Amino acid sequence: MKLLISFFITITFTFASDATIEVIKRIDSLPSLAVEDSSVSYDETLRSRFFKSLIADLNVLSIFNVDRHHRKVNYDAGSVLVENKDMNYVLRYKLSQDDNQALNVEVKMISDDKAVFNKNYKVNNTNVYMFVSHTIAYDINKFMGEAPVEWMKRKVIFSRMVDPQKSELVIADYTLTYQHIVVKGGFNIFPKWANKEQSAFYYTSLDEKKPTLKYVDIKTGKSKVIKSSDGMMVCSDVSDDGSKLLLTMAPEGQPDIYLYDVRTQSSKRLTTFGGIDVGAQFLGKDSIVFVSDRLGYPNIFSKNLNSGSVEQIVYYGKSNSACSVFGQYIVYKARESSESFGNNTFNLHLVSMETDFIRRLTAVGINEFPRFSIDGDALIFIKSYKAQSSIGIIRLNHNKNYLFPLSYGKVQSIDW
Amino acid sequence: MKSIVVSSAIAALLVLSGCGDKDPKVDGSVADSSVEQEVLQDQAAQEVAPVQTETVSSSEAAVMSDSGAQETEGQAMMRIEKELLTIYFDFDKFNIRADMQENLSTDADIAKTKAKDFSIKLEGNCDEWGSDEYNFALGLKRANTVKKSLVAEGVNEGRITMVSFGKSNPVCNDKTRECWAKNRRVDFKLLP
Repeated sequence: MKLLISFFITITFTFASDATIEVIKRIDSLPSLAVEDSSVSYDETLRSRFFKSLIADLNVLSIFNVDRHHRKVNYDAGSVLVENKDMNYVLRYKLSQDDNQALNVEVKMISDDKAVFNKNYKVNNTNVYMFVSHTIAYDINKFMGEAPVEWMKRKVIFSRMVDPQKSELVIADYTLTYQHIVVKGGFNIFPKWANKEQSAFYYTSLDEKKPTLKYVDIKTGKSKVIKSSDGMMVCSDVSDDGSKLLLTMAPEGQPDIYLYDVRTQSSKRLTTFGGIDVGAQFLGKDSIVFVSDRLGYPNIFSKNLNSGSVEQIVYYGKSNSACSVFGQYIVYKARESSESFGNNTFNLHLVSMETDFIRRLTAVGINEFPRFSIDGDALIFIKSYKAQSSIGIIRLNHNKNYLFPLSYGKVQSIDW
Repeated sequence: MKSIVVSSAIAALLVLSGCGDKDPKVDGSVADSSVEQEVLQDQAAQEVAPVQTETVSSSEAAVMSDSGAQETEGQAMMRIEKELLTIYFDFDKFNIRADMQENLSTDADIAKTKAKDFSIKLEGNCDEWGSDEYNFALGLKRANTVKKSLVAEGVNEGRITMVSFGKSNPVCNDKTRECWAKNRRVDFKLLP
C-alpha cells in the first residue's frame, strides 16, 4: 500500500512539475507587473473591487505577467515594496474622494525606481469606477506602444430575458460589471448600436401588433419607429457610417434579408430563397455574409450584391447559425455534436475569406453571440458551461481567452 | 304562571347575587367577562359571516352583470382559444408531422366555424438549442407552415398574422427531452 501511495505521489509530482515548467516558460516571456494600492478614501469593498477590476483589465491586455497580490503602500513612498522589487513594472494608484463626492484616481507606473508614467483620472459617480480602471489599462497599453485597445473603453448593449415574453435592454462596460437598464418592461430584443459613437441604438419591439424596429437616441432618451414587418423584424448589422442597415424581415411570412437606407427610408430585398435567410453582415463594400438553411441545415454564405452570386463560406460544423464579420475575417458558431437532445457543444471558429484556414477559438460548453470589436482586435461572446454563464473576451492576436462570470439573467442578444 | 316564572327568576337572581357577594369578586368578574367575550364572539361571527358572503357574492354578481355585455365577446374568444390545439414540431424542422395533421384539421375547423369572427395570431416557438436570429426564423417558418395549412383548408389568409418568439417563450424549463419537445410549437391566439 505504502509503495502504491509513494508511486502515485512520485507520478503526481513528476507530471505537476512538467506542467509548471511549461507554464513558467510561457509566462516568463512577458514582462512582470505588480499593482500597489495607496488609496486614502473608501471602504475595503470598493478598494477591493477596484483592485480586482484593474488586475482583470491589465490581464486582458495580454502584455504583462500580472501579479495578483493586493499590497498597500504610501503613494509617495520612494521605492516599491520589497515583495515587488524584482518586478519589471509596478503600477501604483491612489483612490481619493474629493469634496464633491467625485472619485479621483492618481496613477503612476514605476520601473527601475523611476516613475515612467503619470496620470490622474476623475469620475463624478463612484458606481462607474470600472470605466476608470478600463481607461487606465487602455493608457498603459498605449504607453507600452502596443496596438490600441479602443474596445476596452466602449460599451456593450444587450437584451436579457427576465420572464417568458419579458426582457430588458442593458448598457454595460465590456466586462458587464457596470449595468444600466435603458429599456425596461415589455418584450424588447436584438439591440444594435446605431453608430460608431454609440450615441443611439436600434432594437426590436414585440409588444406592437407587428414586430417593430425602433431607434433610441441615448442623449435625448427619445425613441422613434423605423419600420414594422409581420412575422419578424431584426436589425442584423449597421454599416460603418451608419447610413445603411441589414434587416431580416418577413412581410409574407418568409424570413429574408433586406437592405434599408436610413436617409431615404427605402428598403430593398437582397435574398429570395424559400427557406431561412437571416443574420446578414456587411462584407466589404458590395457583399454580405449571412446564415441560410439552403443546404438543409444552417450554414454561413456570402452574396455579392452586384453579381448576385451566392457562395458557401464555411465547410466545417454541423449547424452554423450565427456569425460576425470584420474585414476578411468571419467568426461563426458551430454545433459540434449532433445530439438532438442532450448537452451539445457549440464552439466559435475563425475563418478568413482569403485562406482555407480554420481556427477553433473555444473548447468547451455553449459559446454563442460572437461579436468582433470595432477594430477587429478582440471578440466578445457568451459562454455557458456547467450551469455558469460568463462573458468571454478573446484576444485574437495574443491567442488568449478571458472569462468574466455573469451574475444573473439569460442574454438574448448582444452588440459591442 | 308568568308571575311565578318572573318571581322565581328574580329569586334566583337574588340568590345568585348573594352567592356572588360571598364569592371572591375576581372570580365572578372573570366568569362574567369570559361569558361576555364568548357571546360577543358568537354574535360577531354570526353577524359578520353572512354580511361577508352577501357582499362578496353581490359584488361578484354586479361585476358579471355590469361588464357582461362588453366581455361576452372576449370571454367567448378566450373559450374558443382554449379549444385550439397547439402544433408541435421536430428538432430543427418546420414541416407538419403526420401525428399533428389531425390537430391541424381540428384547428382549421374551429377557425372556420366558432372562431370565424376573430383574427388568428400564430406564435412560433423554439427549444433552447439556439438563441440567435436563425432560431427566430425557425419559429416563424413553423408559424408559416401552419398558416399555409390553414389557408389550404379554407381559412381566409387575411385573418392570420404571425410572430416568432424564438426560445424566449418556453412553456417548460426543465432540461429533458419531453420539455424541449413541448417548446418546439406553434400556439394559436385569437384577436378581436
